[in-house]
This record gives sequence, structure tokens and C-alpha cells, in this order.
Amino acid sequence: MTAIEIDRVSRWFGNVVAVNDVSMSVGPGVTGLLGPNGAGKSTLIHMMAGFLATSAGTVTLDGVPVWHNEAVYRRIGLVPEREAMYDFLTGWQFTLANAKLHGLPDPGAAAQRALETVEMTAAKDRALGTYSKGMKQRVKMAAALVHEPAVLLLDEPFNGMDPRQRLQLMALIRRMGADGRTVLFSSHILEEVEQVASHIEVVVAGRHAASGDFRAIRRLMIDRPHVFLIRSSDDRQLAAALIADPSTASVELDGRERALRVHAVDFPRFVAQLPRLAGEHGLRLYEVAPSDESLESVFSYLVAS
Amino acid sequence: MNTVLNPTIAAITWRAMVGRRRALLLLALPAVLLLFAIVLRATGVSDAEVSEGVLGAFALGTLVPLLGLIIGTGVISPEIDDGSIVYVLAKPLSRPTIVLTKLIVATACIAVFAALPTLIAGLIMAGNEQGLAVAYGVGTLIGGIAYCAVFILLGVVTKHAAVAGLIYALIWETLIGGYVPGARTLSIQQWAVSLTSALAADGAVTANVRLGVSVTLLVVVTVAATVYAGQRLRSLTLTDQE
Amino acid sequence: MSELSVQRTGVIHDIGYRNYDGARLGRWYLVRSLFSQSLRGAYGLGRPVKSKIMPMFLLATMVFPTLIIVVVTIVTNLTELPLEYTEYIPITFYLTAIYLAAQAPQLVSRDLRFRVVPLYFSRPLTYVDYVLAKYAAMVAALLILLGAPLLVMYGGALLADLPFWAQTKGLAQGLVGALFYALVLAGLGLMISSVTPRRGFGVAAIITVVVVTYTVVTAVQGIAISVVDNPTLATYAELFTPFNLVNSFQLWMFGAAENPIFDELRPPSGWQGVVFAATIVAVIAGSFGFLLLRYRKVSAL
Repeated sequence: MTAIEIDRVSRWFGNVVAVNDVSMSVGPGVTGLLGPNGAGKSTLIHMMAGFLATSAGTVTLDGVPVWHNEAVYRRIGLVPEREAMYDFLTGWQFTLANAKLHGLPDPGAAAQRALETVEMTAAKDRALGTYSKGMKQRVKMAAALVHEPAVLLLDEPFNGMDPRQRLQLMALIRRMGADGRTVLFSSHILEEVEQVASHIEVVVAGRHAASGDFRAIRRLMIDRPHVFLIRSSDDRQLAAALIADPSTASVELDGRERALRVHAVDFPRFVAQLPRLAGEHGLRLYEVAPSDESLESVFSYLVAS
Repeated sequence: MNTVLNPTIAAITWRAMVGRRRALLLLALPAVLLLFAIVLRATGVSDAEVSEGVLGAFALGTLVPLLGLIIGTGVISPEIDDGSIVYVLAKPLSRPTIVLTKLIVATACIAVFAALPTLIAGLIMAGNEQGLAVAYGVGTLIGGIAYCAVFILLGVVTKHAAVAGLIYALIWETLIGGYVPGARTLSIQQWAVSLTSALAADGAVTANVRLGVSVTLLVVVTVAATVYAGQRLRSLTLTDQE
Repeated sequence: MSELSVQRTGVIHDIGYRNYDGARLGRWYLVRSLFSQSLRGAYGLGRPVKSKIMPMFLLATMVFPTLIIVVVTIVTNLTELPLEYTEYIPITFYLTAIYLAAQAPQLVSRDLRFRVVPLYFSRPLTYVDYVLAKYAAMVAALLILLGAPLLVMYGGALLADLPFWAQTKGLAQGLVGALFYALVLAGLGLMISSVTPRRGFGVAAIITVVVVTYTVVTAVQGIAISVVDNPTLATYAELFTPFNLVNSFQLWMFGAAENPIFDELRPPSGWQGVVFAATIVAVIAGSFGFLLLRYRKVSAL
């Protein structure tokens, strides 16, 4: 099992702390590194890829340090964010060169396979300088996959892609993860991470804010009220019953929505109490929906804190 | 062989050097030298003394430092600058090999754009009288290699390699070297002159630094710069777009 | 959860599109601002510390020798400065060349590299204004570099009680010469840098042009004087490299009898001087014209 271990890593640039005492373990499957711009995602990825030294802490791949260790690149494929490539080479030549630089025994076949995986075989004989952004991104992926790495690091891979290209790339990343590779990609766009990653790591202002399944993270934040939108046969009566219970912090009758908005502070107790109280007062519940369950609200809570 | 020269990197670097606008600059300089030599020959002005003066001032004095700067920084700075070097670095290749490969490509460029034209210009002007043409050809080549090694190191270490190199070549070597004789001992140009002087007929070329010192320093500087550049490349930090 | 938000009717509150009706400062203000920003950028002001090192170092290195000259003059009680005002710039031309090579690309290549030129032109700034502002800024930057040592020499000369009017005349000549140097060099430097978005390439190209033309011209002059004995050829050869061009021109203009740096080289006399003047005008006009042509068509440049 290939895992990247990040152990109490910090990185500062002069007075600015970009990454602040972050520890995480990235294992097989797709992990999304989520955070607003300037949170330190790129810094973390560069440190994982061995292109930036840590100011404190260690980054290891299966126990082997990544910094100053050229051999580790046999197992890592990096898709960098910057667009610059060798414009005068064709897609095929570029991928082939990457295969040769890895010292693969049959670079031609490996390059062909990689280009087929990213579906770039049609345009492979055109110069890179003529490619669109999405095509360049796919060729970068091909170059990163050519040596069948166990670990794939992608830095903001969906930047600037149109919806169709994004869907293709998402499918590709999911496939890589399903193959058992350790895939890590960074993004500040929530839908992308939601749809692709099975596991997210949230980084905010250089600190590791949360990790895990995003719904599970949400549940863990019990200090924040959960907000439910409830429609019942008698909202006012239900409101009165709920506010009497300590699991509810506030109730609000929303005239326009014609629904009851409830802030619950004790989630487990609330979800037990709600049907019980409704039953006791002979009320019917038509709709009970959490109104802040999306990654967006999780994110905004984390960011606001 | 593969621990010294990586053919893929060499091919890409060579194509990058000669395939762009930089190639125009590379061709322009020796073209001027050759044109000058032809004009001199045609007007009957060229003899050994004139040849020595022109080759000394133009080839060793101007062509080699400038081409050394353009080629030395050109084989590595643009890639580091726009970040495309990541594709070379994210491979299980030893960094010293990468530097050495680039130096070899730079040497080939120096040979083609500096040493060969110098040799030809010398032959045009005065044949191989007093062994000047060959001597200057070799001096240009060796001096050029040393310059490239130093400028490759500068390219790895700093973003402002071109200007830093200029300050070395122009202020240190030319200006200060012109007024402070001691500074000549630390000038690649002067070492190349000593080498040329040794190869040419006696007395044809005046050297300012002893041959032993020059050859030793040429070798030491070239090797040290290359080794240090290889080490620094291991710690190269890639940042986001500025 | 999301179904509820979809059923909700959305309302956009009309806070009124806020138009700006107040005073606008106009094109002249734009040109002036671009000029001052470029000029400050040429010395690294308003930019990070690293950008200040090179220009400030070069400025200091330009001024330092004049300090020494001044001290020597005062201490040894010389009756006149060891160096004419008009001689200083030609002697130290390498420093000016490096400054030009380092800073001209800073002014022009950065805009090209980061593709902000279309942004400039989507304001009431025309391409003529842009070129004017940049040219003027480079000229001003060079004037500071070239004028500062002359002013130091002047101040020192006055401190040493040297005759006032002679020194003032010398300073005036020096400054006029500096102006012509600035105009010619700025034109050449900007012209070469505007060709490429890569700064390093612009640096190399400018230095190459200056140094190679200088070397060729010197070689030709050496041959013309020692070998073929054709002094006129040597004089005209000065036309082909910028520093010597302006130097010969100022020698002609101020009626110097011989070239102080290169004794055997005769400065232009009579009609020869007119050729030099015409060449200078041609270089300045040509560079300016080239820049106008360059910036006339702006795609994602």
C-alpha cells in the first residue's frame, strides 16, 4: 500500500507561514486537497513532490523521504499547475521523451498507452504550442502516467477547463483511484472535490482544518448548529414543542417558505426527539431536510472560523 | 555513457537552443566576425598582426564572453524561468547528469558558433600564420566551455543570471581587469589568452597570466562550477507562477 | 435541501447600477502616471527589494569615481578638474550599457510577458501615449544616471573654489551631452527590448549590440589609423556604435580639437559633424517609429 506520510510539516517563507504544522496520511484512492486560494495547497503538493523543502517536519513516501531523493520519482507522477512545456515538441514526442527519461524498457509502447488513456492519440502529432488548455492538461497527465506511478499528484488540474473537459478529467481521475493508485488533487472548487474524491483534506490558512468524508466532517462539528427546514401539519405547535427541548437552540417560522427553520445544537438528541415530539402532539411531518449539508456550507463554516 | 550524457535531454536542449530567436543572436555574432575577416582580406589589410589584433579583441574579447553568456544561460535559464524544467527534474535522473548534459550541449554550441568561426576567420585573414588561427580556435573553445560552466551555475542559482553574468564579464573582466592587473588572474578571458599564447608561435600573443596558473584555474573553475550546479539543482525550488 | 432552494423564488434587489459621474482626469494624467511609474520602476522604487539592487548599485558605481575625483581635486589643490565634464560618460560607458541592458527590458518586456498591454490600451491611453511615456521615462532614468556624477563633479569643483563660470559652462555641456546620450540609448534599448517578452533575452541582445558594435568599430579604427592611415575612415567609423556616435557629436558641437580618449582619432569637423547630427536624429526618430509600429497592433501581444 503506497502512502504519503506528512508528519508535522511546516513551511515558512520569511515571515509568512504557508503551511503550519500539518500532519496527514494520503493513501490509495482519490483524495481531494481542498482549500481557498492561498491556503497552502500548492505548497503542500510541491513538498510532497520533492520540489520544496520543509522548514520543519518530514514528508515520506512509504518511509522514504521525498526531498533530495531522485529515485522516488519512479513512483510519483506529478501534473504541475504551470502551463509551460516544450512548445516545439509534438504531444507524441513529449510523452515519448518523458518515457525515455524514466528509463522505461519500451518507451514507445508506454507512451502510446499513456496517450490512449488520456484520449490524446488523435492530436499527438501536433506541436504542443498549438494545443488548447484542456489538451495540454491531458498531455501533462499522459506524461505523468507514462511510467505507471503508484502515486499521482495533480496541482489544480481543473483550472480553466470547460465542463466537458472537466467531466472527462474527473472520470479519468476516478479510474486512476479505482485502479488502486494514490491520487491527490488540489482544488478550491467544491463541486469538483465533491464529485471525485472519496476522502478530503481541508487546508485553511496553512492549517489542516479537517479530513475525512465531508459529511462525516460536518457531523463532527457539533459546536455549530445544524439547520433543518421542516414542513409539518402544524408548524407553530411543533415549534413550541421543539423549543422546550434542550437540543434545539432556536426555531423560526419562515413565512415565505411556509416552513419551520430549526437550529439544533445536539444533533443525535434532536434526530431522536423530532419524531417523538411530532408523534406526541399528533403532528405529521411532511418534510425534514438539512439545509446546510453541502460541502459548501461545511466549507464556509470552516473558512469563517 | 548515460551517467554523463542523457541523450533525450541533450536533444531537447539542442532543439530549444537553435530553434528559436536565440539562434539569430547566436548566428549574428560569428557572422559579423566572418564578414569583418572577409572585408579585411578583400581590402588587403589582413596580415598576422592584424589577425592577432582582431581575433584577440573580437573573438576572445567579445565573442566568447557574450556567446558564453547567451549559450550558458540559454541552456537552462528559460526552462527554470517558465517552469518546464519540472518535466526533467521529476524523473529518477541524477542532477549532476542533467547539468553535465547541458554543459555538453553548450560546448557543442560554442564549438559551432564561436570556435569554428574563429578558426575560419583566422584562416581567412592570415592563413595559419604563426599558428594563430588554430591557437585562437582552441582558446575560444576552452574559454567558452569555462564561461558556459560558470553561467550555467549562475542560471541555476539566480533568476538574474544574465545581468549577473554581464556584470562579471564587463565590469570585472574588462573594466577592472583593465585597471587592476591583479584582477586578471581571476579572469576567464585572460586564462584563455594564456592558453592561446602557448599554442601560437612564440611571441605572437602576449599573455598576462602564467600558463600553469591559467590551465589549472580553467580546469578547477569548470569542474567546480559544474559540480556545484549539480548539487544546487537538487534543491531547486519550483514555485507557482509569479 | 437543494430542491427547496430551487422552489424558492429569487429576487434581485435593485440598488441601482452605480455610475461614476464625477471628474475624470483625462489622458494627460494617464500619460504622466505611466511615465512616473516607469521611471520609478527603472530604479526599483515601488517594487520589491531585489529590483532595487541592480539600478542602485549601478548608480552608486557611476557616482563613486566622481567622488574620488572631487576629493583628489580638493585635497591636492588642483586648478581644474582632472576630467572634463564631457569625458566622464564615454569613459564609463560600460556601466551605462549595463544599466540600459538591465533596465530597458524591465520597462517594456514585463508588460509584454504578462500580456497586460491590451489592458493599457482599453483605457483612454493610445499607443502613441504609451510609447511616449515609456520613452520619456527611459530618457529620464538615463539622465539621472548620467547627470548625477556630473552634478557631483560640479559641486566638488565649486567646493574646491574653481572658477564658477567655467565650471558652469562645463556642466552645461556635460548635461547637454548626457541628454543626447539618453535620447539615443533609450531609443535603442527600448527598441531592442520591445521585440521579445523574455527579459533575459532583451538584456543579452542590448549588450550584444553595444559591445559588438564597439568592438568592430574599435578594430576598424585601429586598422584605419595604424595600418591603412585613413583618419577619415576612423572618424566616420564612430557613427556605428551608439556611445561613440554621441561622443563624437558632442566633441564636434563643443568644438573640441582632439578626442580625449583616443588621441589619434580626429573628432568630426565642419560638414562631418552634420552627418553625425543627422545620424543621431535618424536613430532617435527610427527607434521611436519602430516602437510606434510595434505597439500599433495589439493582439494578445
